[in-house]
Amino acid sequence: MRGGGPVAEARGATGSSAATAGTRDALLEVTDLHVSYAGSVQALRGVSLWVPDGGIVAVLGNNGAGKSTLLRAISGTLGREGGAIDGGSIHVGGEPIGRRGASDVVRRGVLQVPEGRRVFAALTVEENLRAGGTAARDAAARDRARGEVYDLFPILRERRRQRAGLLSGGEQQMLAIGRALMGSPRLLLLDEPSLGLAPLIVEQIGEVITEINRQGTSVVLVEQNAAMALRVADHAFVLEVGQISLQGPAAELARTDEVRDRYLGVGAEAAPATDVPAAGATATDVPPTGATATGAPSADAGAARPAGAAVHDLVVEGLTVRFGGITALTDVSFTVAPGSLHALIGPNGAGKSTCLNVLSGVYAATEGAARYGGRDLTRLPRHQIAALGISRTFQNMALSSTETVLDNLLVARHRHMRTGFFSAALRLPGARREAAAQEATVVRTAELLGLGGVLHQLVSELPYGDRKRVELARALCAEPGLLLLDEPVAGMNFNESVAMEEAIGTVQRELGISIVLVEHDMRFVMGLADRVTVLDFGRRIADGTPAEVQADPDVLRAYLGTEQEEER
Amino acid sequence: MSNLFGLVLNGLSLGAIYALIALGFVMIFKATHVLNFAHGSVLLLGAYVVGVTNDALGFWPALLLGIVVAALAAVVIDVVIMRRVRAADLGTLAILTLGVDVLMVTELTRRLGTATLTTGAPWGTSTVDVLGSSIPLSRVIAALVTAVVVGVLWALFQFTNWGIAMRAAAADGGTAELMGIRLNRVAASAWGVAGALAAVAGIFLTSFPSPGISPTVGLVALAAIPAWVLGGFDSFPGAVVGGLIIGVVTTLSAGYQGDLTFLGRDLAQVTPYAVMLLVLLIRPSGLFGTKEVARV
Repeated sequence: MRGGGPVAEARGATGSSAATAGTRDALLEVTDLHVSYAGSVQALRGVSLWVPDGGIVAVLGNNGAGKSTLLRAISGTLGREGGAIDGGSIHVGGEPIGRRGASDVVRRGVLQVPEGRRVFAALTVEENLRAGGTAARDAAARDRARGEVYDLFPILRERRRQRAGLLSGGEQQMLAIGRALMGSPRLLLLDEPSLGLAPLIVEQIGEVITEINRQGTSVVLVEQNAAMALRVADHAFVLEVGQISLQGPAAELARTDEVRDRYLGVGAEAAPATDVPAAGATATDVPPTGATATGAPSADAGAARPAGAAVHDLVVEGLTVRFGGITALTDVSFTVAPGSLHALIGPNGAGKSTCLNVLSGVYAATEGAARYGGRDLTRLPRHQIAALGISRTFQNMALSSTETVLDNLLVARHRHMRTGFFSAALRLPGARREAAAQEATVVRTAELLGLGGVLHQLVSELPYGDRKRVELARALCAEPGLLLLDEPVAGMNFNESVAMEEAIGTVQRELGISIVLVEHDMRFVMGLADRVTVLDFGRRIADGTPAEVQADPDVLRAYLGTEQEEER
Repeated sequence: MSNLFGLVLNGLSLGAIYALIALGFVMIFKATHVLNFAHGSVLLLGAYVVGVTNDALGFWPALLLGIVVAALAAVVIDVVIMRRVRAADLGTLAILTLGVDVLMVTELTRRLGTATLTTGAPWGTSTVDVLGSSIPLSRVIAALVTAVVVGVLWALFQFTNWGIAMRAAAADGGTAELMGIRLNRVAASAWGVAGALAAVAGIFLTSFPSPGISPTVGLVALAAIPAWVLGGFDSFPGAVVGGLIIGVVTTLSAGYQGDLTFLGRDLAQVTPYAVMLLVLLIRPSGLFGTKEVARV
């Protein structure tokens, strides 16, 4: 790990002869891989990487850099997304797998834990594990694997009869990993295992990966949480627009300036947004851009914006939510002052999303009230809540993936459109004028969030981080007075989350709206929030300014953890 | 009053047959997202095979042969036609199955000609008395068979690896594939099981009191579509409950149509669809169907 050159000389080489050119004994060897989607979009352009037997390799990179594509190519699932390998090869244990079907790749001992966990929600924990074990050699191997998974994740044994959909995010991630381990993999591909998880749980996931590796499984770890990934991995590759831009032993890579600036954010305080690409740049550029576009009818739309919806106090009082026997929220109260940014934080399953769901009318409150502008949100149907000027984004995203970004955004303008069915169908001048004006507004919002270039792409073609931005843009297009954001930077790496932070900050300053934010990225929360409410097991355990909350011993214990111990 | 009781019993037993057909619809839909309009002709094929072979083979071997042929036919439809267009949209796939249906029904009609084959089932035209109402023995057996089939299917889904793989594939095919589940095999097996169920239903549909095996049987099978839809496209319990409801509604509206002449004749042809529409108005995703809304 130390000393060795930038080439693979990681500890996985133990027990095997020193690898010539570092690649001969690799368990996984990807050589000059080219992948394109729909025959045209080049996603990977000559990627070569390798995983030594018994090693952990981290793959870092922006959203859209090609990380997911790389994993799809290895696991043989490109076809499902319309992608194809145009050149290069993939070898596992010396044999090519490039063009085989997914199930054959699994039988060769390569299992992928998909991004976003994707547990089978309607199946029990035990059934999920069985589904993962269908490729196992025999019943004995399966039973042994199940025993190992339960030893690794005792919580899964406890909950084995529960439906997977009822587990918290962290537990679901453990289940997703356990499910893949049921196939007794030689190589485990992890696609963003820390996505949307609380800091304490991220630590645990990191430890779990180390433990899995210790038991003899090699790991490819694709992560946005570069700090965790580089701590866990032996060797790391950085992927940028379809090519490997950097690689080396993880510890060395973590010391390079590029990685520190862009993925770890260590030097960021000194020079914020030095190297922030597209989104950040446009975020700051936008006011002038908007001004140059004022020839269009969007000018008045822009002026009308702050007045688009009145901004009121949001007063949540004694909110309690029960589902059957489970109490998701117990007597939660907080107040969001007009124009402020209020963060809700807490462990997975603490009730944060439930809280947003009640505020936006998705769930009914059992007791309590949420007053906004003289109305009680808990008593209103969803469309009336939207009409009050409250809009939201979703943790798991709820976009129409078969429509373009533009159309997704235009849907949010519904409340501001006057054109009726017939005038729209007949394309009367008034209707066309309105359509142009609406489109101009949408385009401006999209540009504010760095989405100007992808307006005419289908949502399904966008990488995760961009889809997150589309969600935010859609919520903004409704011109809300109160914006509810559910994990806006989950799945983004450091520089992308900085860009998002700036965009949200800009939005809030310019439009003067209130924002309620649920997020696990503490740097992000503490940098933006005016006030923070901390939930744990559905109860409020702290409420105050970011500084107060960060110093609160209860919060440290339940959520933040003590300062990350640097053991590795 | 006893008339009502008898009609309900008859309806439930007819509903049991519909349930078998609807279970096949659900199974194919869950595994491959195909609205399979060729299901009726697979059913007809199964019954036809039994009809032409039972003289030579005897009923039970002929029944087995019919089930196997129908299952194979369904698998062939999936492997040869549907597998190539797996990613096509719902409408395209449904229209493809309509084409297959037209082909199969045309050929079977040609073969059947004007003759009406019988299944030669041992239960013949006998009836049994249940609390004063007389019910065809074939229907009683159909109800029992359906009960057994439902139980066996439930156990298969719950306890076997095949069942788990099937449910995983239906829930999230992409992820199931990542776990090494062979989606094509799961799909083919679902079609096969559905075809076998159709053949069994076909035997009961062509037994007394129905006159025998004729090309219209394939159309009668379509009466199971309202059962499938009102149960909720993707729900096995829904298929069973939907089948029973449609069975009862059909026999009741046929039984009382003398009192309802102001609604016109052959009311029983329409009522299943009226009930289906009524249910969908109140519950757009059917009685037990998965709501389109995802968890947020």
